[in-house]
Parts: sequence; C-alpha cells; structure tokens
Amino acid sequence: MITEQVVKDLLNTSGYIADEAIATAVFLALHMEKPILIEGPPGVGKTGLAKALSSALDFPLVRLQCYEGIDEGKALYDWEYGKQLLYTQLLRTQLDTYLSVSADLREAVERLSAEESLFFSKNFLVQRPILRSFLSEKRSLLLIDEIDRSDDEFEALLLECLSDFQVSIPELGVIEAKRKPLTILTSNGTRMISDALRRRCLYLYIGYPELDREVAIVRAKFPDLCETLARRMVEFLRKVRELNLRKPPSVSETLDWAQVLSILKATQLTPEVVANTVGVIAKHQTDLQKVTELATQELSATWNG
Amino acid sequence: MERIIASFVSALRENGIRVSPGESLDAVQALALCGMEGRKSSRQLLRLTLVKNVNDIPTFNEVFNRFFSRFKFVDPQNEIADLMDAAIINMEGEFNYLDQLPGDDHDEGGPLLKLDSDINPEDLAELKSLTEIDPDDTEGMEIVVQMKGYRGKAKKAPRPTRRYTQNPLTIELNKSNSVQMGITFTVEEQIAMQDVVSRMMMRLRKDMKRMKNNQNRGKLHVIKTIQKNYRHDMVPFQVALRRKRREKPRLVVLCDVSFSVSHASRFMLLLLHTLQNQHLDVRSFIFNREIAEITEMLANMPVNDLMEAIDVGDIVDLDENSSFGQVFLAFKKRYLENLRGRPAFIILGDARNNYDEANDWVLDEIREKARYMLWLTPEERDTWSRGDCLMDIYGAYCDKVEVVKTVDDLSLVVEDLLRDIYADHADPIDRKRLLEAKAAEIYDSKDYYTRGAGGNSEPVFDPAGRSHW
Repeated sequence: MITEQVVKDLLNTSGYIADEAIATAVFLALHMEKPILIEGPPGVGKTGLAKALSSALDFPLVRLQCYEGIDEGKALYDWEYGKQLLYTQLLRTQLDTYLSVSADLREAVERLSAEESLFFSKNFLVQRPILRSFLSEKRSLLLIDEIDRSDDEFEALLLECLSDFQVSIPELGVIEAKRKPLTILTSNGTRMISDALRRRCLYLYIGYPELDREVAIVRAKFPDLCETLARRMVEFLRKVRELNLRKPPSVSETLDWAQVLSILKATQLTPEVVANTVGVIAKHQTDLQKVTELATQELSATWNG
Repeated sequence: MERIIASFVSALRENGIRVSPGESLDAVQALALCGMEGRKSSRQLLRLTLVKNVNDIPTFNEVFNRFFSRFKFVDPQNEIADLMDAAIINMEGEFNYLDQLPGDDHDEGGPLLKLDSDINPEDLAELKSLTEIDPDDTEGMEIVVQMKGYRGKAKKAPRPTRRYTQNPLTIELNKSNSVQMGITFTVEEQIAMQDVVSRMMMRLRKDMKRMKNNQNRGKLHVIKTIQKNYRHDMVPFQVALRRKRREKPRLVVLCDVSFSVSHASRFMLLLLHTLQNQHLDVRSFIFNREIAEITEMLANMPVNDLMEAIDVGDIVDLDENSSFGQVFLAFKKRYLENLRGRPAFIILGDARNNYDEANDWVLDEIREKARYMLWLTPEERDTWSRGDCLMDIYGAYCDKVEVVKTVDDLSLVVEDLLRDIYADHADPIDRKRLLEAKAAEIYDSKDYYTRGAGGNSEPVFDPAGRSHW
C-alpha cells in the first residue's frame, strides 16, 4: 500500500519536492478515487505536480487544456463522420448483396436497421481526452488544465464524468471507466468554479513554498548551483514577492532565474547580476524598476557589510 | 468518530463555511484511510475534504483550533466541571491525540468555557450549554460572570436604527426630496423604481431589437453543415451558421454605503435589486472601509431585509471612516482576478477618503480590466476640491464622472452606460444608429436641464465642417 511518505519520496525522485499537504492530497486521491482541484497563483507547480505524478507513478498522462468555448466534441468524444461515410461507400457492394435477399422494401429496411448499431459503434468513435483516459487499460492520469478558462456549461458537463467516472453517449449508452483515472484539475482563479464541481473534488491550495522547500526545489533541478547562492537567491525573491508587484515572481521564475545564473556561472548575488538578469523575474516595466531598486538596497548593503 | 466529525461540520457551518453531507462523508472516509496519526495530519485531511475555497481556510483553521483543543472549565462547583471533563473525554475517545503538540505554529490555545450551573448530564453530550467567556471575565460575582457569558454576539454597542446625515449638502438634499428618508423602502418607492427600470429597459429593448437580427448572423459553419446534411448525401439543404455569442452586458458596481452618501447609495441598491431580474450580469459590492460582495443577497433577499442588514452593520462595519484607498486595495486583492470578460465599472461614492492613502494606482489596474469606468457622485462639482475629497485624482482614471442626485439621474446614467455596452457589440451600422439616437437624446432641450451638471456643454464637432451658426 502506498502511504503518504511513499508518495512524497516518489515525487522527490522525479524532481518534485512536495510538502505534506500535497502528499496527503495525492494519497487520498489515489485511494478515495476522487479528483483533486488545485488552485494557486500561476507558476507554483500545479501542472508540474500532475506531470511529476504521471512519471513517478507510471500513469500515462492524458491532458485536456481548457479554453473558452471548449465542448464535449473536444473533451469527451466525437463521431467520425468522414470514416462513417467512407465505409458506407466502400461497403456499397456488400450492402447490395446483403439486401438483395430480402423480398421487399420493408424487409430490406428491417434488415438494414438491425445492422444500424454497426455505424454507431466504437469503431467510429473518436476518443477525446476524457474518454481516452477512461478507456485506457492502464490506470491513467487525467489532467484537466486551467478549468477556469472554460465556460459554465462545460463545467456542468464535467460533473457526471468526475463524480461517477462515466460518459453517457446517446447512441451507445453509458460507458464506464475501465480504471478510474487519477484526476487533477487546475485553476488559476480567473473565475470562481461552481460549488457543485468543488464538492466533487478534494481541494488543494498550493501557495508559494516555504524558504527551505523552495531552496530544495532549486537544488533538485539545478544540482550544480551552489547551496549558498540558491539560498540567497530564494531569500531575495521572497522579498521581491512582498513588493506588491503586478506579476510577482513565482516558482517557475525562480527556476528560470536559477538556470540563468548557472548558465552565467554567477557565484555571488550582486546588484549588477540582478540588473542584468532582471527580465527573468519581473515581467512588467514598472516591476523591473522596483526589483532593481530593491536589489541595490538589499544586496549592496550585505555586500558592504 | 462520525459524531465528532458531524458536530465539527456543524461548527464550520455556523461559521459560514458551506459543507455538504457528501463532503463530511469524504472526511470520515479520509480519516479512516489515513488513520489518525496526529493533530497536524488530521487537520490537513479535514481541510482537504471539507474546505473548497482559499478564502475559507483561515476560518477553518480558527474553528479547528477552537473545536479540537483541550477545554478548561471555570466553575465554582467542581463536580460539574469534572463531570464535563469526563463527558468530553468519553466523547472524544480516540481523539485524545488532538491535544496540542508543542511547536505547531498554527495553533492557539482553546478558549475558556463557562458552564451553566443547572446542567443535566444528558445535555453534556450535546455540548450545547457551553458558552465562551473571556479569560479576564472569570472574576467577580458569579451572576456577573454568567451575564458576560450570555452577551455573546450582542457585544457591539447599540446603534441608532436610523441613519443621520452628516453632510450639509445631503441635509439640503433631504429637504428638497420631501420624501421621508427611512432605511427601508416604502412600497411606493419600490413600485416607482420598478417603473423607472421597466421604462428604461423598454427603451433599451427597442434599440436592441433592431440589432438582434444582425447580431446573430455569422459565417457558415462548415463542419456542422456537413454533419447536418449527411443524411442528404451532402447536398446542403440545411445550412448551419456560426452563431455569434450574444454577450450579456457585464456590470460591476461598487457602492459606498457610508453615512455621507447614504441617500444616493440607497437608491443605487434599489436600482441594482430591480436590475437583477433583467438580462444583465451584475456583480455588486458595498463598502465603507471594508468591502463585501452582495450579489447573492441582492438576488435572494427581500430588499428591505438587505437594507436593514447593511444599516445595522452586519455586512460591512459602518462605524469606521470610509476609505476608498483601502477598499480599492482590498478589491484588487480579493476580486479583481475573478472578474470575467470586460465588465463596465460603476463606482458610487463621494471620494471622501478621510485623509487616508489614495492608492489611486489600483484604479489604473482596474481600468485595464474594465471596458468602461463610470464614477457617480452625489456632490456638485464645486465641492470636489474641498476637504478630503479625492474626486479629481480618482476622476482622472474614469471615462466619465457624473453627478447624480435623483432616481431619474441615476436611471438615465445607467441607461446610457448599458446602451454604450450594447453598442460596443453591435455591427458598425447599428453602432452608428445607436450613437445617433443617443446624441439626439442628449440635445433634447427638456433633458438638458434635468440631467444636472453631467450634460455635455461643449459644441459638437460637425464632420461636414459647417459652423453651427
């Protein structure tokens, strides 16, 4: 049996440093077979968690990126009209011989309608991400990314899928999931998700990580970056986050910056280094200024001391 | 364990967190799965299963700390306290581990509890007769201590039920507006407002109808057309067109409810309440020093109950000085990210900031998200630069600042705004027609005087180049 600690270690090995809340949520989702709804500021590793989980648990990742106007044809299933048409054309001769035995028109129609289900069978069904993950032989990981970008109608459509792990197709009936996928929904909170959807999920809020965990994250991704520099870097970024910026730097920015610093082979965090690489952490013009100011204030003080 | 979870859930509900029975079942299942290893992990489990909103997490932590903490009993007769202790231990049973662990930073000590002296052992199971008291309050005569325990929620000083006006301007306004200013609305007022709104919607609808036909028409939807005509062997008997989305006009209204503008905000709220039934997407907020969303309440509560709740200070504290800067900051933090589409903003207030920080940069960010920004103020232009009024600073960020003093002003302004929004979505031809209709209306001579200072006094530029003289 997989325990919380095992989940945490598994994630660690695939490069994702999880805290206890994350590990518990994943553990519960695995055993209770409930989706997890993850909210949090952009770039804290919501999607990253799903990717790390899929590689750690060896679940194939099925990703559904939401956008305004997404519908069931894009998310659940669709009929392959072209293929259906092609088949009727190709099978015309067979159909002729098949129907030629019938005595009159009525019988021909009856014979044909008996075979109707042939044309609305799984052969002609295009599996879109959700159905594909339900029908996967192996337990899969279904990532429904940025659910807040979709419309309310699509959210309602998801309710059946997420609570019962089944898809109703009018022509075929209800298709149940072979293996219930581990489902992860992410949201950036650009719109409130309905309570009905929240109720069906475990709720996990991922905020900015604590100092030690963030350092560990940096170290895990860039082992050649020295420990003290990583720590100085993260400490500085934590101060930047308190600056009330338009777009505060998040974990993904921390990692970008760490990469830049390791490429530049920087050994010390000086105001000059920050000024040269500020574009990695600040993404607005006004923010650039504030960050450079903070760098001269904070870093030159420690430099002199 | 189920009973403890159930009573914990009801404690959460009392504190305003919505928890469904399904979620409490989840919590029980989760606890059974993970086992109860410690206070911290149990809190995590309960939080994962019971709380579904970031904003509820602090409340949850508070309730959790209060609920699962060792109670201390203050009681002159020790027997009952002992009995109580026994009952609690009996009830908690396996929950003993929930005793405080040292070094858990989210925890605070539990509150002291007060017992009613005529308590039955049967009542103990319910824990109903416990009331919280302040640790400082345990001294003195028993009856005094008990009285303090009973006071509970009514700790706030009583407030006058009727608002008084502070602003000389509003006093004058009240005089001219011979209707008595109660808190709640009379039936006549409500009917009058409905009348105003329905007239407004009728005028708008007339314009909308003209546009609707054009608006729905779109390009050919190739795939849908093929799908539809599949049975006709691809001969397109039925044509499927792409529908253009017909957008509801989205409005976000921030309404100051402090004393100084109460007469105007009162009608704004009534207008909002009446508009709620129309085909609009309105999110309404009220503020004084803090800000609160009242969209749901406007839709579900009788308007007079809502007005009373606002007036008593249940929704936002009215005893504080109003601060626009604080409110804008709070709005940015809590709501700005959640706004969909590009709503039109209406802010109603006198921009009197009580010398607090202006925080006008927030308005700049709101502007980026907003299609249109409109500031409504009940004060005349002359007074804008006097005292603590920041109208000139805030006004610079708005598309328009209007003076509204009567219901008619208000409805005209809102109607104009809605028309603008509709015009934005319309085809170019319709837009032109709409704007022409609007222009004609502004120069209606009768209208000019009733519109107050908001009317445009500059001469129109004639594209043909002819002089008006």
